[in-house]
Amino acid sequence: MSRLRLLERDEAPLHARALYAADGAASPLKRSLANAPDLLETLMPFLGQIFDEGAVDLPTKELVVVRVSRLNGCRYCLASHRPIAVDVGVPEEQLGAVCDERPLGELPVRERTIVEWVDAYVLDPGGISDELVAGVLDHLRDDQLVELAILIGATALLNAYCTAFDIPAAV
Amino acid sequence: MDEALEHAVAEGRCGDRFWLYATYHCNLACVYCLTESRPGISNRRTLSRATMVGLGEEARELGFSALGVTGGETFMLADFAETLAELAAILPTVALTNGTLFTDRLLDRIAPLAELDVALQISLDSPDPARNDAWRGPENFAKVAVAVPRLVERGVRVRIATTVEDQSEEELERLCALHRAWGIDDDDHLVRSIVRRGRAALDGFGVEPGPTDILPELTITADGAFLHPFAPTVRHGVTDLDLLVSRQVRPLEAALDRFLRVVADQPAGTDVVRNIR
Repeated sequence: MSRLRLLERDEAPLHARALYAADGAASPLKRSLANAPDLLETLMPFLGQIFDEGAVDLPTKELVVVRVSRLNGCRYCLASHRPIAVDVGVPEEQLGAVCDERPLGELPVRERTIVEWVDAYVLDPGGISDELVAGVLDHLRDDQLVELAILIGATALLNAYCTAFDIPAAV
Repeated sequence: MDEALEHAVAEGRCGDRFWLYATYHCNLACVYCLTESRPGISNRRTLSRATMVGLGEEARELGFSALGVTGGETFMLADFAETLAELAAILPTVALTNGTLFTDRLLDRIAPLAELDVALQISLDSPDPARNDAWRGPENFAKVAVAVPRLVERGVRVRIATTVEDQSEEELERLCALHRAWGIDDDDHLVRSIVRRGRAALDGFGVEPGPTDILPELTITADGAFLHPFAPTVRHGVTDLDLLVSRQVRPLEAALDRFLRVVADQPAGTDVVRNIR
């Protein structure tokens, strides 16, 4: 049971109605965010840029989103992003690994290195070694690492939000 | 002066009065209340005197030409007499009240209002006490009938607002005779429909407002900025957000900007068909 009102389109503030499809559909996350329409003016474009394809390809981004959501134990984000990850081409085996259903060692070296860096960034950013950064920079440019870092932060923001407010996964 | 506001007002897309919801607390529990205001509510959603005066000053700077204060019952706020005098010194002000709290002491405190451009808009729905009180609560008619002449006698401008549901022409004519006898002109008698929102919607009262029935007038409550004073309604204790235009109210310019973006979609020359204002 959500701890926030999940607004239907006709209940939503006027400036928030753009979040809804023509038939009134919107995810529970968006229906909760509609309570604060002013924030949406900057939040939605921000999230759009962070989660859409940028300097980093979508499969890598979705793999990171799923891994961060797994580390933070966000049921809503896992339920939302695991299917998206499949849609953009992340192999099921890789998703199984980042969800701790299979050994991380089964990941290809690029993905394994990125996930090691993601884990450290989320769990112990102060403990990240120069070697770990150098290793991930063998696979990503500086700007791509910046993009992933911001993606991790945005994902963590939504993980905490969805978990704290018990936003129900979309059916 | 905000040019966009000036243009929107000139085109009839919105009004030039800026509204404040002083409180959702009330000593009455009218059957058609938009906000479920009543005695003893736990969340009174009150605007402080400093907030109301500050917003009034911002409204003047942005180009609004009048203020309105509503609720709840405005005079449930301990310092409302003084707040109203401060607001009226900023811009011409109308304050809505049920007219039931005007003790001798309060009448003394509002004496300065006689020298200011301010009107008290008092609700009265029927010249028949039983009919009026069925909508507005026990002894409401009697208290209003005592308060209005005393206010007029002290030089305070009074408007009478009548909310109609099934009153006959003859009943309304007797009501007009009554307010004229109190010294209140027909120009200061407002007759409007019950809006089917809030408690009225739950009980099936009133009319469903159409897109041209209610003139947009920027309205601030403790919950944010709304499209007009009939927007921040409450059902089962929860504020309706469908006509919320902004959560941010300070600086007022930010809320006005969002309000005007909504108003831009209004048909030009909107008329207030049902006089709901």
